[in-house]
Amino acid sequence: MATVITITSGKGGVGKSTTTANVATALALLGKKVVAVDFDIGLRNLDMILGLENRIVYDVVDVMEDRCNLAQAIIKDKRTPNLHFLPASQTKDKTVLNKEKVEKLITDLKKDFDYIIIDSPAGIESGFEHAIYLADRALIVTTPEISSVRDADRVIGIIDAKSKKAQNGEEVEKHIIINRIKPELVEKGEMLAIDDVLDILSLPLIGVVPDDEDIVKSTNLGKPIVLDEKSMVGEAFRRIAKRIEGEDVPFLDLKAKKGFFNKLKGLFK
Amino acid sequence: MSFFDIFKKKKSKDVAKDRLMMMLAYERANTKIDNLDEMKKDLINVVKKYLNVKDIHIKTSSNQDIETLEVEILLQK
Repeated sequence: MATVITITSGKGGVGKSTTTANVATALALLGKKVVAVDFDIGLRNLDMILGLENRIVYDVVDVMEDRCNLAQAIIKDKRTPNLHFLPASQTKDKTVLNKEKVEKLITDLKKDFDYIIIDSPAGIESGFEHAIYLADRALIVTTPEISSVRDADRVIGIIDAKSKKAQNGEEVEKHIIINRIKPELVEKGEMLAIDDVLDILSLPLIGVVPDDEDIVKSTNLGKPIVLDEKSMVGEAFRRIAKRIEGEDVPFLDLKAKKGFFNKLKGLFK
Repeated sequence: MSFFDIFKKKKSKDVAKDRLMMMLAYERANTKIDNLDEMKKDLINVVKKYLNVKDIHIKTSSNQDIETLEVEILLQK
């Protein structure tokens, strides 16, 4: 039975597409057949993060409007065998989607894949509504900043109202991913800690991802960071994939890197 | 946190948390019902059929386990 997971956040720029790319890749590395679908129509980005931008011929809107069939539009990643990608349209805008078309697309994808990972657009308008409509699960990405947490709260409040599952009396399973944690700031009390964010949003946590320069590099190269076995950020995403698969894995222990001098300074603060 | 922190002023993250909690408590209470105004109009119409209504106040509130909707109907004297 295929699972539809929507990655969402409300606020833009918190790392939705990066999370989508890495969670999808990590699940594929676990041997699952995965398709990542970019629903950010008009603002296509997942293609570059996955490094697949040069292979796009057709996009998700072409499929929905019958200009090609599904198999023609799906790009198979050569680097990660189980990973597939369905790009957003760059020329159209979000208004081209409608519920019937979205439902047909997702129903068709469900026949072929274990996981359908949907990258939702920012905002709470129609684009978001289509991205969440058929979700079985939602991963809400937030950074430990007030604007991001506030928007996450708003999105959490409307997920069920916009989902088909909720219309049938079921609930979308919701989890929080806290992205771009800076342990040094948390330790100084200058950044909301994991517990603070969870207190406020009152949903279970599925991942904590530290802020790391490696992520910039991986985006530059179009190579999801989970492919780097030594990366701490990659490990954070790999653990999220395992938790999605139902495994009970501990969370990363994020501590600030401290040299002797900093420790000394800490004593006198 | 070191011993000396007790004398320092509140950490910025605590301020952030307090501000968020306040704002969200307000926003959650007000966004629970999408069409509050419409409901209010309907309620007035229904009650009007039987009573002389002056005004209706609707308030939502919630604590840990329960959410309540208070409807206060002011009648003409």
